[in-house]
Amino acid sequence: MNDPIMTDMRSEYSKSLIQVGRDNPNVVVLGADTTDSLKTSNFGKEFPNRFFNVGIAEGNLVTISAGLAVSGKIPFASTYAIFLPGRAVDQIRNNIAYPSPLGKKGLNVKLVVSHGGLSVGPDGGSHQQLEDIAIMRVIPNFRVFIPSDTVTVSKLTHLMANEYGPFYMRMTRSKTPLIHSESQDFQIGKAITLRDGSDCTIVACGITVRMALEAAESLQQEGISCRVLDMFSIKPIDNEILEKAARDTGCIVTTEEHNIFGGMGSAVTESVSELYPVPVKRIGSQDMFGESARDNEIPLLFEKHGITSFNIAKQVKEIRSKKL
Amino acid sequence: MDKMGLNYYQIKKNILRSRKLVIKGTNIAGSGHPGGSFSMAEILGCLFNKYLKFDPRNPQWEERDRLVLSKGHAAPGLFSNMAVAGYFPESEIETLRKFGSKLQGHPDLKCPGVEFCGGSLGTGLSFSVGIALAAKIDSKDFHVYTIIGDGESDEGQIWEAAMTAAKYKVDNLTVFLDRNFIQQDSYTEKIMPLDEKLEGDDLSEMWKDASRWKTGDKWRSFGWNVIEIDGHRIEQINAAIAKANATKGIPTMIISRTIKGKSIEHMEDNPQWHGKAPDSDVVPIINLELDSQFMIAPSIIAGDMTNLENEIKRCISGRADYIHLDVMDGKFVPTKTFDHTKIKELRSLTVIPFDSHLMINEPEKHVQDYIDAGSDIITVHAEVTDESIFGEIHDLLKQNQVGVGFAINPDTDLPEWSYKFLSSLDQLIVMSVVPGKSGQKYIEETHSKMSKLNSILKEHNFSGYIEADGGVNLENIGSIFADGARIFVGGGAIIGQQDVRMAIKDFRNEVLKSRRHTLLDKANELGGSDLVNKWIGLHVVGEKQEQIKKIAQEAEYI
Repeated sequence: MNDPIMTDMRSEYSKSLIQVGRDNPNVVVLGADTTDSLKTSNFGKEFPNRFFNVGIAEGNLVTISAGLAVSGKIPFASTYAIFLPGRAVDQIRNNIAYPSPLGKKGLNVKLVVSHGGLSVGPDGGSHQQLEDIAIMRVIPNFRVFIPSDTVTVSKLTHLMANEYGPFYMRMTRSKTPLIHSESQDFQIGKAITLRDGSDCTIVACGITVRMALEAAESLQQEGISCRVLDMFSIKPIDNEILEKAARDTGCIVTTEEHNIFGGMGSAVTESVSELYPVPVKRIGSQDMFGESARDNEIPLLFEKHGITSFNIAKQVKEIRSKKL
Repeated sequence: MDKMGLNYYQIKKNILRSRKLVIKGTNIAGSGHPGGSFSMAEILGCLFNKYLKFDPRNPQWEERDRLVLSKGHAAPGLFSNMAVAGYFPESEIETLRKFGSKLQGHPDLKCPGVEFCGGSLGTGLSFSVGIALAAKIDSKDFHVYTIIGDGESDEGQIWEAAMTAAKYKVDNLTVFLDRNFIQQDSYTEKIMPLDEKLEGDDLSEMWKDASRWKTGDKWRSFGWNVIEIDGHRIEQINAAIAKANATKGIPTMIISRTIKGKSIEHMEDNPQWHGKAPDSDVVPIINLELDSQFMIAPSIIAGDMTNLENEIKRCISGRADYIHLDVMDGKFVPTKTFDHTKIKELRSLTVIPFDSHLMINEPEKHVQDYIDAGSDIITVHAEVTDESIFGEIHDLLKQNQVGVGFAINPDTDLPEWSYKFLSSLDQLIVMSVVPGKSGQKYIEETHSKMSKLNSILKEHNFSGYIEADGGVNLENIGSIFADGARIFVGGGAIIGQQDVRMAIKDFRNEVLKSRRHTLLDKANELGGSDLVNKWIGLHVVGEKQEQIKKIAQEAEYI
């Protein structure tokens, strides 16, 4: 594979916010003392009266967003993953997801976080959110995205601005390889097939999509044909594409920088076990916390949790023998 | 500016209706939170009936004011006010907490008109800040009113929101702290003190001392405009809201000293009634208790006529419910006291309702002056009015949101022409002395007159207050209450005393004694000694139980 083009999700998010802010005067942006890090402060420079920094008070951030939303605004509230689902789940559930104006489901708030997963790196285990997908997935009315690159970030930011309802989108701190072309279409609940194959399906999201592609590439050289899906929409999940993958390839490996319990892999497993049961192997943190790793050591941290293209390839080979 | 056009009495009446619905709803549901619904009853009553802009037929009207009940467990109080305001039929309160009902256990957007899904405490203030910010962005001039609890103030997010509201200068936000001093486990000051440390046996009594409240200082230090009031006084709530609405550049916090379970003796200040429903067998007694609210009204002419300002001040410090102003013109009665110019001067001293009793000829020529002077209610005499004159006065008062009073002298029977006005009358003064001077003796025939009057009043749907005026004292006030009077004018017996506060307190205690007797009568009538004993047993706070027991024993009910 070619060397990847590395891009920065937060810069893309910031740019996209300003675009949606220009298109729609109801878009407002809120932050909690991480607005320079998230680069949402740029929105504040262009729209000072539609930008609110509520300080280090994430519950407050979420609930104020809900109050703005119930009054017709489209709030994008952002901080680090560990401080939103990880800290303010009560407010997310009871102030955004639960209140449903007649005919609607939940309030129109977009929670967009950075610093999801292990790739947070040096800040260590206290800041590496490996539980957010599990938390957000069980809250009714929420839709949950993990973009794999900046194209996805941009498209999903526009999509969320135009689609009513609560959304959670988890971005990555570190630079991420470009996966998609600008012309790629993104739809809620529709995974993207990045590579076709017949022997196994690798379902990936976020920063692990590139690893999945690399694993598929190396397996190809060994004569194993893998299908690779970017499951950026974790809720709703693409049941149709998963059922087809199960039928066509007979086994599935999932990969994500999240606890294997409750994450994307769990969602995939739930889906195929109901629709067309085949063996599924989940790669991700094996019910462990993360720890510090300097930027150049992040691959070592991933390796400790088994989140590498090498392990993906290994698991593909193993699970093929378990096919029904 | 008043918008809804409801006067003091109509607000009070609607609050009473709401309280009864709370009892009905929680009783049928078998659970719910009457205590916290009652502590904020007057606050919600003033909002719904005077200040809040809303349209029950169009709950989503964009320009409406927003009411956020952050202390969501007091949902029965909110729903009851909404029912009285016409959002849905009052009978729907029977579906409270029932499967399929829009009246959920906690306020929910499922019920059109509810603005906030409460339940998880500590978040309603942030939500309100969000709404207030949205209004600012859109240059809308609706107002956000929020009610938070004191137990709820344990939540850190309350203070996060407090800082945010001050930072963004949301002066379109007014918050009430329902300071009832009780949370689920016990008294707030035991669980997590908001005020300075209080020690002693009778904490409840100590907390009535406003000088010890420090909660307001917390809010002041957070950059808020703080107003401290008695949260059960309609006139204080109204004045505070008016002040808050006129305050620009900062949000307002109205610290409202309230009593959990207010209006029902056994629920008052009793942590047990945070979240418990009343049993069916006591509901009729509770309703009778709710119907037996009363007010003490000192008459200032019994004091120093050369310094009425001071008499008003004595009424204020004595915690009078009401100030009775005897206007005499020297023609209708031989004596002359003061006129509207004096009332206007006195008005600036207090917000306590002014009960202007016009003992004057040709009242129709002067009523406007007394409205302009700031009277809350104006009473004119049967002896100098007829159907057409009174009709004119009645309409003028209603238009100006001033209470309508009608008075009869001891020798006067209620004229038949007045019957048609009875249902919209706010007050009927039954004179028990010949008007003209203070210090006379109560005319005993008034008792029998009252019993005749009661049947006429009932027949014609009178729902106002009967005011007893003349010779009321500690010896006879209990029997006057039993006759049906609910406002007691005290001349010499109050204003004539050295310690007005103590005199008013004594008045209240005597009425209370009589009221307790009435309630025990009811209990005995409905369920004999079992229900009497049960009723007594409910009164667990302070010395109430012993006092009530004594009355029951004397009546030989137990």
